[in-house]
Amino acid sequence: MFFDLNIKGSGLENNMELAIQASSYGWEHINFSYNQNEFKEALKLRDELKDGLEGIIDFDYTLEIKSTNINEIRNHANNFRNRASCISVVGGDLKVNRAVLENMKIDVLSRPYLNRYDSGLNHVLAKEAVRNNVAVELCFKDVLRTYLSPRAKVISNFRDIYALHRKFDFPLVLSSRAESVFDIRTTHDFVEVFKQTGLDDDEITKSFETSENILEFNRNREDLILKGVRRVTDEA
Amino acid sequence: MKLKVLPPTLRKNNRYLTLDIKITNPIVKDDLVTIIWDACIRFKGECETSNFNLWVMKFYEIDATDKYYHYKAIVRCQRDFVGEVRSSLALATRYDGNLISISTIGLSGTIKASQKYI
Repeated sequence: MFFDLNIKGSGLENNMELAIQASSYGWEHINFSYNQNEFKEALKLRDELKDGLEGIIDFDYTLEIKSTNINEIRNHANNFRNRASCISVVGGDLKVNRAVLENMKIDVLSRPYLNRYDSGLNHVLAKEAVRNNVAVELCFKDVLRTYLSPRAKVISNFRDIYALHRKFDFPLVLSSRAESVFDIRTTHDFVEVFKQTGLDDDEITKSFETSENILEFNRNREDLILKGVRRVTDEA
Repeated sequence: MKLKVLPPTLRKNNRYLTLDIKITNPIVKDDLVTIIWDACIRFKGECETSNFNLWVMKFYEIDATDKYYHYKAIVRCQRDFVGEVRSSLALATRYDGNLISISTIGLSGTIKASQKYI
């Protein structure tokens, strides 16, 4: 299954166009991401989108929190937890990276390397990611939209994250963060680019499974009593 | 004088990629040749690109929308370097200041078989 948890959401028409293109390129599920200010408005488009994309592709919404204030991030995560199938926080700031990886209510730390000279992760943060089951997201668009030395630095940061992922086995998510039809590629091309940067087939497959597991986990989040304990309805 | 054709065992093995191209301005086949070479050299470097054995075999104009012009093409590359070529092409984003998107939608061993993706 090919899951993309981060496609930049906008108006209805653009979302439809992106979803149809993604479907024709082999994607099976996409999440439109909106920031904390746009998310409530975006929820109103849901029914229209559902009608338009019936039988074409599955879709859902990701809340993408963009802030450097840790309290604000925590408040937004608590407020939107029941309405978003996935909550991600844009990283890059070391305090944000740490606060997000320590917060169980957040699903994804997006781009911890953003605007930095290093990957934004170390062994301490990697262990926190494992303990709190927070995934680290790498965006295809960061490679696509850079060139020459910035692109080399992004790929270098990716490799540092791969090394930590191999040692500590924290959840890793790969996404496109496409904004227009010019940013979407076929699933094979997408996989191949990450293979060229140093990931192997198993790790890429696992990253798509991680995306699927995040959505599945959040579907059942209301039934969760404690970590590892879930209320079930069937008597068997 | 023309060189004698190599025996099959000494020939390079080829694969044919069917490309789906979207660009904001119209292009011709020669432009695509430049785009493909630039993309490969930029991502994999001169030394590795020399292994790819790239050649644009066919170029088709499909349609045009208000956002982009749509083309398809069949490109030859060497068998063991398909992954490198398709990743390099996927990372092409601009040509002459215009937005471009290249995706590989088919992979075949013959030109005839790759035409079913057009």
